[in-house]
Amino acid sequence: MNEAQSEQHDSESSPTHASNARRGFLGSASAITAAAIGGLLGVGPLAIGLYATIMDPLRKKTTPLKAAGGAAGAKDGFYFVAQIGELDSHVPRRFTIVADKIDAWNFMQGQPIGSVYMRMQGEQVECFHTTCPHAGCAVSFELESQAYLCPCHNSSFNVDGSKLESDGSANPSPRGLDALEVDIQGTNVFVKYEDYFTGRHDKVAK
Amino acid sequence: MFRKLYGWVDSRTGIQASLEEALYENIPGGAKWRYVSGSMLVFAFMTQLITGLFLWMHYSPGSQNAWSSVYYITFEMEGGNLLRGIHHVMAQAMVCLLPIHLLQVVIEKAYTKPREFNWWLGLVLLKITLALGLTGYLLPWDQKGYWATKVATELAALPPLIGGLTQKIIVGGTDYGHFTLTRFFALHAGVLPGLLIGFLILHIAMFRKHGITAHSSPHRPDQLFWPMQVLKDGVACALLFSVVVFAAIAEPVELGPPAEPTEAFGAARPEWYFLFLFQMLKYFDGSLGFNTELVGAIVLPGVLFGFMFAMPLIARKKFGHHLNVTVIVVIISAAVYLTWEAKQEDNYYLNHPDDTQSAAYKKSKRFHDEVARSEKEFELVQQLVRDYGIPLEGPTALQQRDPLTMGLRLFRRQCASCHAYSHDDYAIAGPANSDATSDSPVNYGAPDLVHFGSVKWIQGLLSNDLTTGIRSDRYFGKTLHVEGEMAEHVHETMWAAVETDADRQILATQIEQIAWALSAEAKLPYLDYVANQEKIEAGIAHLNDDTLGCIGCHNYGENEDGYVIDLNGYASAEWLTKMISDPTQTGFYDGGSENDRMPSFHSEATKLLTPREIELLVRFLREDRTLLDD
Repeated sequence: MNEAQSEQHDSESSPTHASNARRGFLGSASAITAAAIGGLLGVGPLAIGLYATIMDPLRKKTTPLKAAGGAAGAKDGFYFVAQIGELDSHVPRRFTIVADKIDAWNFMQGQPIGSVYMRMQGEQVECFHTTCPHAGCAVSFELESQAYLCPCHNSSFNVDGSKLESDGSANPSPRGLDALEVDIQGTNVFVKYEDYFTGRHDKVAK
Repeated sequence: MFRKLYGWVDSRTGIQASLEEALYENIPGGAKWRYVSGSMLVFAFMTQLITGLFLWMHYSPGSQNAWSSVYYITFEMEGGNLLRGIHHVMAQAMVCLLPIHLLQVVIEKAYTKPREFNWWLGLVLLKITLALGLTGYLLPWDQKGYWATKVATELAALPPLIGGLTQKIIVGGTDYGHFTLTRFFALHAGVLPGLLIGFLILHIAMFRKHGITAHSSPHRPDQLFWPMQVLKDGVACALLFSVVVFAAIAEPVELGPPAEPTEAFGAARPEWYFLFLFQMLKYFDGSLGFNTELVGAIVLPGVLFGFMFAMPLIARKKFGHHLNVTVIVVIISAAVYLTWEAKQEDNYYLNHPDDTQSAAYKKSKRFHDEVARSEKEFELVQQLVRDYGIPLEGPTALQQRDPLTMGLRLFRRQCASCHAYSHDDYAIAGPANSDATSDSPVNYGAPDLVHFGSVKWIQGLLSNDLTTGIRSDRYFGKTLHVEGEMAEHVHETMWAAVETDADRQILATQIEQIAWALSAEAKLPYLDYVANQEKIEAGIAHLNDDTLGCIGCHNYGENEDGYVIDLNGYASAEWLTKMISDPTQTGFYDGGSENDRMPSFHSEATKLLTPREIELLVRFLREDRTLLDD
């Protein structure tokens, strides 16, 4: 069947085409030019599309968040989270961080943008990101076991944020919970809230 | 007439020759049932393409619209549930058929010379299909898809140097949002199906070039593809479609509650066919000293896939084919085992109901509790959507105005470390007995707040029954008040004088009347106060006459000598707001000396809850589901 078709094709071809074919696929200047233009025509739109799609998210270096809501006097990158009287010295409490948020073309005021666990340690405030450093699920503090537990891959952490190492329980997290910088001004607790890459030994901000 | 028309069309299009080309493929050894897997996969993909296109007509990517449009398709649209159900089930059928097709090719040795390229094309098709499954899981933008996909994109950031960039490109920024959906949707509905069609054409062309791997057999004559193999393929596909439609009807496709970035979902699991990868991650726990998560998530799957790519080359060596078969069988067995193990872990508490103290039991229990909580949240949001429709801001804006949805969340977060809420439908467990936060292990807990302020609740508070009364764990059993004046009064004064059944009856009636009078202060929306006006009036009289000795300590009506817990407006919205905001204020545990451990949730020094959250909580406790204003 294929042979029959190609024979038919040959018989219909003009002698000029046939002689071009004999000189090889890229045997002439016009053939090379045609191939180059053809290639560019295909690559051009793709390149522009890829460029825009890849560069747009990369250009935005930081989390697209506007200034923190709450009390004035916050340092750069810090968000008001709580008042010092709200913290317990035994049990870490979970706090939601509320701030203005930009999602692509939408601007939204006073949205929950993330959460932290905090407790008093003497005069200091201890603050942890709720995102598990293993694969990004959210940990929760369990009173009963006095530990932060992740519901996904069995990571667990002591109340001080360090990895919980106990016999017979696997703990795939590469590091302890991510401590966040805290700034206390009067009775206001500010937290430098940022996200970190998961799955790495070192804490690297996104 | 028809013959003449056909001749006319054929002379201009060559349709006859094309059909013959397509259908008269020789099958050495004749048509067989086991040749149907490829056709079934093509059919499954075509079904996905068609149902997908129709779903596309009703789907809208974007943080506010994605869940809403999938909700509409699933629950409002005529035939929508079946349409989405078929797409959902057929996707899984496709993933089941893939390894069968692949195993056949390996066992028949059809991946070796000269069919190497077709093997490679098949592997590419496998990857594209899995990518379609992964991207599709996020599109409904429910809690399950959101949190499971978040893990997948976190893993994308693992490779050194390019990982972070890759993640940003996939997610469309650093945070999940509109662009995550628009990108996943473009991949799921455009890029990946386009690639799949392209590679499928090459795959089939390559297959036709080399023909079927089987050899002619003297016992069974060769047959052409048409009609016997087409018939067998058709029957198999029809069977597949029937099973898929049946499954889609028998178990209507579900939707979780809408995605919320700060309401962590504690039961995030990938679609079942990715569970083995999920489970494998647990084994890479860093004990080898280098970044093993990268190995578990990317390197090892990459190496295994690389091995599969190299299989045609390995087969050229002596025993190479046997090695290939062995490795493939090991990979598939391991995947099946890991899937089973992941399921076992999640279902541990169902399979070992007696092992309540083990960590595995507790973890599995938490998983199931989260699944149940998520189902409840969906029921609640479905009621909201039915009653109010979805606002422009999306479903979460509606949830955030709902006292029941938010009350359950707030109660769980802020109250459940002391209080239980043993509602029939929305039970929240109180604290497990633990001495962790209290100096005295006994004094840990607080009253069960279900139906707080109702006649039943107050009757219980005034009862001396050790399992249901004031000294039981449902009231003051695990607080300092268990030895306080109130409990003492109930036990030593009110009930101590009771000697006969008649006495008991009289006291019980008085308590019931007082309970009605107090509950009338609360004006709870679920009790009928009008019908019980007589009891209320009798109760008011008892209170004013101090029949049971209440107003020695409590303020009520004319009596203003009380020093603790004002009974005026007891359990009303205003009263509860004050109690939750600051229980140490005048009219409650004045100055705080009588207060056990109840925190101030919105006072000068603490703002654990916003006034809006307290309002939601108050309505929740009063079982008043009137939506909050925007």
